[in-house]
Amino acid sequence: MDEGFGKPRGFNVWSLFYGSTASIVIATIVLFIISPLLAPGSLSWAALNGMLPFASVLALVAIGQTLVIQQRGFDLSVPGMISLAAVLVTWIPEGDDSRLWLGALAAVLIPALFGLLSGFVVARFEATSLIVTLAMNALLYGFVLWLTQGTPVGATDVLKTFTLERTFGLPNTMIIALVIIIVVAFITKRTTVGWRLTAIGVSPRASTVLGLRVKRYEMLAYAAAGACYGAAGALLAGYVQTPNIFIGDPYLLPSIAAVVLGGTALSGGVASIVASAIAALFLTQLNQIVLAAGWPNSTQYIVQSLVIIIVVVIRETVYRLLSRRARRKIAGGGSAQPGPEREAMADAS
Amino acid sequence: MTDPVSGDLLLALKDVDKSFPGVRALTGVSIEVRRGEVHALVGENGAGKSTLMAVASGALAPDTGSVTIQGQPLSAADPRLAQSLGLAIVRQTPALLPQLTVLENMELTRGRRWIGNVGKARAWAQEWLAPWGLEIDPRTRVDDLTVEQRQIVEVARALSTQPKVLVLDEPTEHLNFEESELLFTQVRRLVDQGGAVVYISHRIPEVKSIADRITVLRDGKVRGTFPSAEVNEHQIISLVIGRELDAVFPEKGTASIGGGGIEVTDFRGSGFGPVDFQARPGEVVGIAGVQGNGQDAFIRALCGLGAASGSLRIDDRSVRTGSTTASTSAGLMFIPADRHVEGVFLPLSVSDNIALGELATVSQAGVVRRAKVRDTAQKAVDRFSIKTPTLGTTVSSLSGGNQQKILMARSAGGTPSVLVAEEPTQGVDAGARVEIYNIIRQTANDGAAVVVMSSDNLELAGLCDRVVIVSRGRIVQELNGDGISEQAITTAALSSTSMRERLNEGRKAIRLPRWLRGDYAASIVLAVLVVLLGAYVALQNSFYLTPLNLTGLLALLAPLAMIAVAQQTAMLGGGFDLSVGPLSGFLLVIASFYIVDDVGSIWWLVGFLLVIGAGLGVGAINGGLVQGLKVNPVIATLALFMLLRGLSLTMRDRPQGSIAEEVTDVIAAKVGPIPVSIIVVVAIIIILEIVLRRSRAGLSLRAIGSNADAAARIGVRVGRVRFFSYVATSALVIPVGILLMAQVGIGDPSSGVTYTLASITAVVLGGARVMGGRGSYVGAFFGALLIVQVTNVTTFLQLGQSWQYWLMGILLLGSTVLFATVRKSGA
Repeated sequence: MDEGFGKPRGFNVWSLFYGSTASIVIATIVLFIISPLLAPGSLSWAALNGMLPFASVLALVAIGQTLVIQQRGFDLSVPGMISLAAVLVTWIPEGDDSRLWLGALAAVLIPALFGLLSGFVVARFEATSLIVTLAMNALLYGFVLWLTQGTPVGATDVLKTFTLERTFGLPNTMIIALVIIIVVAFITKRTTVGWRLTAIGVSPRASTVLGLRVKRYEMLAYAAAGACYGAAGALLAGYVQTPNIFIGDPYLLPSIAAVVLGGTALSGGVASIVASAIAALFLTQLNQIVLAAGWPNSTQYIVQSLVIIIVVVIRETVYRLLSRRARRKIAGGGSAQPGPEREAMADAS
Repeated sequence: MTDPVSGDLLLALKDVDKSFPGVRALTGVSIEVRRGEVHALVGENGAGKSTLMAVASGALAPDTGSVTIQGQPLSAADPRLAQSLGLAIVRQTPALLPQLTVLENMELTRGRRWIGNVGKARAWAQEWLAPWGLEIDPRTRVDDLTVEQRQIVEVARALSTQPKVLVLDEPTEHLNFEESELLFTQVRRLVDQGGAVVYISHRIPEVKSIADRITVLRDGKVRGTFPSAEVNEHQIISLVIGRELDAVFPEKGTASIGGGGIEVTDFRGSGFGPVDFQARPGEVVGIAGVQGNGQDAFIRALCGLGAASGSLRIDDRSVRTGSTTASTSAGLMFIPADRHVEGVFLPLSVSDNIALGELATVSQAGVVRRAKVRDTAQKAVDRFSIKTPTLGTTVSSLSGGNQQKILMARSAGGTPSVLVAEEPTQGVDAGARVEIYNIIRQTANDGAAVVVMSSDNLELAGLCDRVVIVSRGRIVQELNGDGISEQAITTAALSSTSMRERLNEGRKAIRLPRWLRGDYAASIVLAVLVVLLGAYVALQNSFYLTPLNLTGLLALLAPLAMIAVAQQTAMLGGGFDLSVGPLSGFLLVIASFYIVDDVGSIWWLVGFLLVIGAGLGVGAINGGLVQGLKVNPVIATLALFMLLRGLSLTMRDRPQGSIAEEVTDVIAAKVGPIPVSIIVVVAIIIILEIVLRRSRAGLSLRAIGSNADAAARIGVRVGRVRFFSYVATSALVIPVGILLMAQVGIGDPSSGVTYTLASITAVVLGGARVMGGRGSYVGAFFGALLIVQVTNVTTFLQLGQSWQYWLMGILLLGSTVLFATVRKSGA
């Protein structure tokens, strides 16, 4: 009776579609292997060097989005956060490298503060995160326009060279992103803070029963997400040298796409930072292939959206097949039920 | 009254079996309800009464067996079919839609296509509400009613369908004496007119006084049907209980009772109080009572869940009420009845679940030590004999008993001062039961004060040192030592007839006047804001009031208002549609290939047909993804957002293809200074608003957004309504695409994209409930008007673009917070 019992997290064919880190890792490896077939030259050093910094930025954005989605929200303030960070890291130093540290610090801290404010409104007033972050996005763009008066400022020399250079053959942006990803992944997987965040994401009510300070941790998640977007914006500003005001706009949809592809459940809780980051790499390489194949830029939207729909539909279908199989088993007297039981048992009183 | 035995058969259930995963709820149940009788159904909690009536009313399909209503078979599990055959049901928890008014709730059950004359409809509703003597205005939103008012509306609604068979499931739980008497009068009248009533209740005295015949149900089987006059209370009770429990109870407490433990005085909260109660270290105290008497609210308040007043002391220290953080840090652990929702973390592993209760012991300097997690979990698994293949197994794949033992391990493992358990053995197999009893007793012997709430009186009798009986929110009796027996507890609980003190249930909420709570309050506020802003700017800059500016303003308003109306449709049904913006641009791009100069006008027709087809097609895809494939609406419509943007950009990489002037001239026509487009849009909005308020389609849309489960129970076809809500949303974007033909005039692939955010902003400003069920097209229109006005005004005041963004952000954030606060306190 126990095929589904034993190891629901273990590796089997289904788990490829089931949201474990393994599936996105395999998908990404396969994508890189077939890249030259689809578009010759898409694995050249030049192509990789052009791709990796953007993948790094998207990965940072995606892990921030993961933290919010872990708390059952959606963060639509991504564009404003990235744009504001890009402005702060350029506008504060105004080309003076001795003040770059101040700009970089502000670029991380100020988005974190705005994130905290979003989190406060969401937690305190039980408002819908989608709406709150949408409003926050407008406020952030207000500040972007107010600071720049519509004219972008260039990045300082140090920031430009730092983001363009490489250390041990790896782009610096990627190294920074890797460090942040590892730190955030460690915190979420291995510390008490991360465990509580997971617990609250899975079930705020069960966490309340356990005595956890649910609202504080929710606010923390939004603030940390803001810091991630801030770091992404600062790196992006250096890489593109003179960031335009709406530089954050193209990152919103891919950030959510990366979280979905990484397998973090939209119902919250079990999230994988690493999987989201790898999914960001996957999406960026996918774009690279589309461009290298000579297709117009617009094709990337179509490809991305089809990938999302296909992955989500397959995952949902597999899930339903699994739970139907499990239900049959229960009716037959077994006790196994893989996956959270979604349909509440009818009240038998 | 007709002789009950010779009357016609109005409701017959024959050999009904029904199982749920792990539970056999009904076994071979047959019941006959005849014309002219009140047929009572009695039994303990979980005896299968409500399940049986869910089967009778078409809410649940039986595994085997048949249901016949007035001689007609109930061929499918369909609440509407049962109703059309003449059966109405009043549920224990009313299936009312909180965001709809009383009248709308009643109309939805009546099942007509249109409400028609509102005055007449209101009079009709009032007629059914009048006998209750309560001043319930049919225009009141159900959300604003008290619990007993809702119960009465539920009864009135059932009676308004003029049923032949009326099923009442615990109807008096929330009613006071007078209201109960009124209910009995109504019941008698229905029976005298040749109907029949099925009356489900725990309260034997009540049942004796009203029923003609009584059927006793125990463990999902019928234990007999008796004429009410021929049995006494005692005999009924002895049939109700007498269940065999194959469990061995641990020896009762021997520890001497001292101070400490948990103690409350003058403790009250929503649904209970005032209560004085204490449990001392070493004893197990049981809380008994008929379900729905506030005992659950009471013990949850002990644990900090739910607001309460009065003093709460744990181990002789005063503890803040209403905070689980305060009570857990004082040493109290709570094991909730709803294991899946409040207890275990289903998708997490066994070891994670256990460790989450003891994070302090398994971590060092904030870092969780895996070895310690493993150790702690392994110890708990051994000590509480939790049967799991591995420590990494997800808890969702364990049996109920083992999940419960994990909760026990998490709570009792760390030697708590107080352990509170709510229904600790519900849904647990016999073997695990014994182990759970032993854990509870052991925890008490180790020095904890234990409080157990259970609806299983045999269990309480076997387990507890002391049992208190709660009725209507108060402790009415206490049993000690040898005085504790199942018989004694059941008798005390069932024969308690105390009436609930009508608590003024803490309605400290700000009660706004009706017009401010209504659907158009936001519209009025928005209109005033728009006028004030306009007046201020007109004083500053005389150009503002010129026809040229106003015409431009209205021309901009038309597409924005229309797209807000589209978004409102999705949101009313509890969804979102992020794809509306790019869809409008996509439609424009399609048009730019066909509706151009130098082609035959037959191609213009083809163009318009393609535009309409594309709009409906996208709606069908959205609806299919969300309803058919169960994709989260945000993800589904976000994917469509990207897809449509990509398609537009692929078809036109830059603005190209001028729309034929003859067509744009028609679209941009004006009557005097007023664009025809805005007149058309306003007309569409008025029609839609009427459909939304008066038609069954509109009511159904709001119903699924308000509460999809309750809507399904009263017969709304939730799946179909949801699918078509997305089709309608996209269909309403078609006019936007057409308006863009004139406004943009050329196949610009990036046009319309920003409309998505603007549409959501307009709808939220218009006072819609983001979760669905509540909102208005008029509100969405005024929301759009304010957006256009703000954009226009900031230009005139030379405030700069940043103010445009700030104002939008502040308006959206402010209205979200305002609505969240007002509605939460109003509920």
